[in-house]
Amino acid sequence: MSAGRRSGLSRIALYAGLTLAALVVLFPFFWMVVTAFKQPGQAFAPEVFPSTPTLDNFRRVLSDYGFARYFVNSVIVATSAAFLATLFATLAGYVFAKKEFIARDKLFGFLLASLMIPGMMFVVPQFAIINKLGWMNTYRAMVVPHLANVFGLFLMRQYMMTIPSELLEAARIDGAGEWQVFRTVMVPLSVPIIATLFLLTFQFHWNNFLWQLIVTNVERLYTVPVGLAMFKSAHEELYTLKMAGSCISVLPIALIFFFAQRYFIEGMTMGAVKG
Amino acid sequence: MEGSPLTAGMTRARRDNVTAYTFLAPFLIIFAVFLAFPVFYSLYLALHKVPADSFDIFGGLEFVGLSNFARLFADTKFWWSVLMTLYYAALIIPSGIAISLALALLLSNRLRGVTVYRSAFFMPYVLDMLVVGIVWTLIYSPHVGVLVRILETVGITAFSEKGFLGMPQSAMPAVVFANVLKGAGFGMILYLSAIQNIPQSLYEAAEIDGATGWQRFRQITLPLVKPITFFMVIIGTISALNAFAEVYAMTSGGPNVDVGGKALGATWVTGYYVFDAFYNQFRLGYAAAMSYVLLALTLIVTVVNRRFLRAEV
Repeated sequence: MSAGRRSGLSRIALYAGLTLAALVVLFPFFWMVVTAFKQPGQAFAPEVFPSTPTLDNFRRVLSDYGFARYFVNSVIVATSAAFLATLFATLAGYVFAKKEFIARDKLFGFLLASLMIPGMMFVVPQFAIINKLGWMNTYRAMVVPHLANVFGLFLMRQYMMTIPSELLEAARIDGAGEWQVFRTVMVPLSVPIIATLFLLTFQFHWNNFLWQLIVTNVERLYTVPVGLAMFKSAHEELYTLKMAGSCISVLPIALIFFFAQRYFIEGMTMGAVKG
Repeated sequence: MEGSPLTAGMTRARRDNVTAYTFLAPFLIIFAVFLAFPVFYSLYLALHKVPADSFDIFGGLEFVGLSNFARLFADTKFWWSVLMTLYYAALIIPSGIAISLALALLLSNRLRGVTVYRSAFFMPYVLDMLVVGIVWTLIYSPHVGVLVRILETVGITAFSEKGFLGMPQSAMPAVVFANVLKGAGFGMILYLSAIQNIPQSLYEAAEIDGATGWQRFRQITLPLVKPITFFMVIIGTISALNAFAEVYAMTSGGPNVDVGGKALGATWVTGYYVFDAFYNQFRLGYAAAMSYVLLALTLIVTVVNRRFLRAEV
């Protein structure tokens, strides 16, 4: 459909179409932001832009309603989970890409098959395990069950298979042990995919609301989405505050996306295009 | 020189096995405990009576055979949820495909600044469904909500009284619409890369033969992006079977409709019912049984889709 040169008129029509589509797709986020700056109780005021914008909603959700604390919890959970999940997937991806070992291909197929299982399936038994371990209301309950990221392992393996094995061999000949080969050759050469997976897992854990809701019931451990869900059911009518909380919830991911969108887009669609 | 003292003196193959499984250990342990074991444990729970007052549900439970499944298959609310899941899928798959493809077609034109639009369309995909749902709840509000107001200016007042999420007829389409806009960026990228792989010469040849823009789309673009379309159908179905956060955030399964004297939720999808049985009612065995039915449905859908894929592509 893409002819090289287009007449001015059709170009204007295309820009109009693109702009209209962008306005529709981004409208909820626009509405969230303008509502968050409206005076408390004025969420339904007819004007689009608040006549007297205020930061009051942000101040109140952060201090009076504990969102500052939730934010810290979310940062702790998402960062530690992203770090560990990426580390485990990098270690595992390396050997699936570069080593011969017993049952390798069967094991890989088995791991991939698990991607088809509906997420809801894991919720009840994982909850039982966490409860049995006595981990309810801990950070590790939120983090540990999701550290085996099969999709991440797949991304790692696909990427690492493209790294020439001769480089690893050369390091071995120079006397490097297995760990050294991994650390000084494989990891530096895989930085783009490691960064991608870190961002993807950070995003996943930042948004991993259902699981965080299930394993926490004390306020001091709420993450932002859990706090937001609790706030929503307790204060249905406080829309301006809810929108301020929503802004706080999406801001980190929106910012990361803004600066690292290439990693996000490639990482998220890579598996699909290959598969 | 090579390896650690642990592996000294082993053959190369043996050493590779030890190294490989050492590197794999953290991943495999987590996988075994939190992903593989739960699949089996879920079956155990589904076949046992789980006390509603205790979460310590390891061992010592009374075996009840298939009675959870029997109860499930006699549960109107469950069959209704399957129906609503199908309805959800029937709405979201075609509309998701249409919007993703339309955005990709718009972006496939070589225009200045097109990557900015691409980012704008993709961004909602990475943001939290819960937040998106909460914002749409505000937009869809009755009486004073922004969408109701916009429609009132053109004389449509049908939604003013109850809002889009408050009416059984509009609740599901409204949930789907919010979700399609959020997710369209993903399909868009897939379609875009498929479209960009189509040789330009095909279009030029068609143009010389006098094909209109619509004909070129129907005869060239659409057939050549078919693998993406099939992929979209598969992941669309699987995500419909998993639908939860959007319903939780916007409708909690409601609003109720009266079906033969029974109050059933207009957005009561199976994914939400599993959550409700587990989290609100603490019926863990029942929820586990239901999640097994979800797994069975997923497998059926995948196998059927595979057949289609093999036959068509």
